[in-house]
Amino acid sequence: MFGLSDRIASGKSTIGRLLIGFMVVGFISLLVAGATAAWVMQRNEQHTAWVNHTYEVQLGISRASGALERMETARRGYIITSQPELLANYHAYQRDLAQAVARVRALTADNPRQQANIAQATRMLDMVAAQRARTVALVQRGRTADAIGSFKAETVLKPMQRARVSGAAMLAEERRLLALRDREQRGSVTTFYLVMTIAGIIVLLVAIAAIATVIRYTRDLDRSRDQLRYLNDTLEDQVAERTADLSRANEEIQRFAYIVSHDLRSPLVNVMGFTAELSAATGPLAELVDRAEAEAPEILTPEARLAAREDLPEAIGFIRTSTQKMDRLINAILKLSREGRRAITPEPLDIAGITDTAVAAIQQVVDARGVTVTVERPVPRLVSDRFAVEQILSNLIENATKYLQPGRPGEVTISASEARGRVIIAVADNGRGIDPRDHQRIFDLFRRSGAQDQPGEGIGLAHVRALAYRLGGTIDVASTLGEGATFRLNLPAVFQASQEATA
Amino acid sequence: MNQHQAVGIVMIEDDEGHARLIEKNIRRAGILNDIRHFTDGHSAIEFLFNAPDGPSKNGPAMILLDLNLPDMSGTDILARIKAEGSALRRAPVVVLTTTDDKVEIQRCYDLGCNVYITKPVDYESFAQAIRQLGLFLTVIQVPDVEDAG
Repeated sequence: MFGLSDRIASGKSTIGRLLIGFMVVGFISLLVAGATAAWVMQRNEQHTAWVNHTYEVQLGISRASGALERMETARRGYIITSQPELLANYHAYQRDLAQAVARVRALTADNPRQQANIAQATRMLDMVAAQRARTVALVQRGRTADAIGSFKAETVLKPMQRARVSGAAMLAEERRLLALRDREQRGSVTTFYLVMTIAGIIVLLVAIAAIATVIRYTRDLDRSRDQLRYLNDTLEDQVAERTADLSRANEEIQRFAYIVSHDLRSPLVNVMGFTAELSAATGPLAELVDRAEAEAPEILTPEARLAAREDLPEAIGFIRTSTQKMDRLINAILKLSREGRRAITPEPLDIAGITDTAVAAIQQVVDARGVTVTVERPVPRLVSDRFAVEQILSNLIENATKYLQPGRPGEVTISASEARGRVIIAVADNGRGIDPRDHQRIFDLFRRSGAQDQPGEGIGLAHVRALAYRLGGTIDVASTLGEGATFRLNLPAVFQASQEATA
Repeated sequence: MNQHQAVGIVMIEDDEGHARLIEKNIRRAGILNDIRHFTDGHSAIEFLFNAPDGPSKNGPAMILLDLNLPDMSGTDILARIKAEGSALRRAPVVVLTTTDDKVEIQRCYDLGCNVYITKPVDYESFAQAIRQLGLFLTVIQVPDVEDAG
């Protein structure tokens, strides 16, 4: 039993620590996974922003190059036709170009390589713009032929070419950056998946370990519960078995006492019977001796006279008193053994009333001994067997009034009190007291204490103790030699049938 | 002829001393009926039921029975005598024993015993009881035994 509960207790603390450990590990894994996910999300957002940025830069560059080409087309058309609408277009495209270039410059402000590229392109564009402005101005002043000449002579294609190259370089740079960022992005995604996988595996392992622990613990608990249930189920059987053993032993003792008393009685009947026959036979014998003495004294020897008149009656007398005593002892054993077999019937009892009755029953003896008996009231409630309590009290009161201190009038006080479900009845006297060495002995059968100057067989207190035990109670004595004795009977306030088994 | 003279007394008593004391006191009471004494259960049963001169074959009887016998309990003999179909079931049975246990007494009466006497240890009472039993024997009418079968 104890081993079992120990195992449960220790198992509980170990299992508790284990589970908490598993939970901590699991939470840390989840936390790391979450943080990684957040980081990857952030990285993703950054990446998207950068990709957008690249696209914007690319758009700006393509717009700039588009505007550059359309400007050239408008200028050529204007040189040939001198139409003012074309001039207006030309200016519009020029503004577009300036806007696009400014936008690209702003977007790539953080990139020195792109700044260098854009500076180069701007220089080229400035050169292109100067040539174009010159030819357009010539056409405006009506000098178309000069303008055409200038156009033919101009080396405009070269700066244009270089501006295009710069644009292409910028695009290439952006693509390079994009590729770089893509790679970084892929790297972080890979890291993310790796972290997630590891965290997942850890969580899975922790979960498996936790479940395994819980299952093992549950199985342990099941086993303990089964064991407990088994013990519980068999408990009543065990108790019944023990009780049966006890009552069997008790019955055995009762039967033994019973048989012994009856088998002892049987020869005693013979001893007493034939002693009586013998006694009767001594009558005629004594008569014969008397007649012989009177009529023929010479045939009578002193031995014969002595035998008939003294020896025989004396022997018969001793045999008689001994067998009578033996008969009383056997009856006492029989009484005790019978008392053990009597059924106890609890009922509410008035202790004071029972005491009064017990005193009244021996009132003559009490008066003759010159003893005053006082019953203290009120008395607590008691539920017990009437006959047994009556027997106990009358025995105790009889004893208390019997063994007096010479020269001191006897005073006996009976009182009762209740404490924690027990009723204690005390019978106190001021008699001769009992030697402390005899305090236990007096409760044994046929044992007495002090001067053997009072009639008695040493049965009363043995009887009292047997009765007290049967009622689930105890009896003890407190006494100082020469000052009196107090017998204390301790009984359950309410007799329980089960107490009989433990008694 | 006095009918009582024909009634035999069967005494089943394992203690020789008791038997002698009982017999003495019965004789003192003036009863002269024949007394057959058995000290164990088996020979008593043999005589009661099977002997040619036993009561079941040969006239009425009265049975004095002790309960504590060496080979069987007296109540077994009582049960045999009082059993349905027994030739002796109307024969008066006096249980004379040391046992004064209430349960035992009740059991004997339940089995059909006619008188239950506890042997008093005090001899005067004992002699008195036996003499009274003797007086009782002089007045009771004992039925004839039926033919067994």
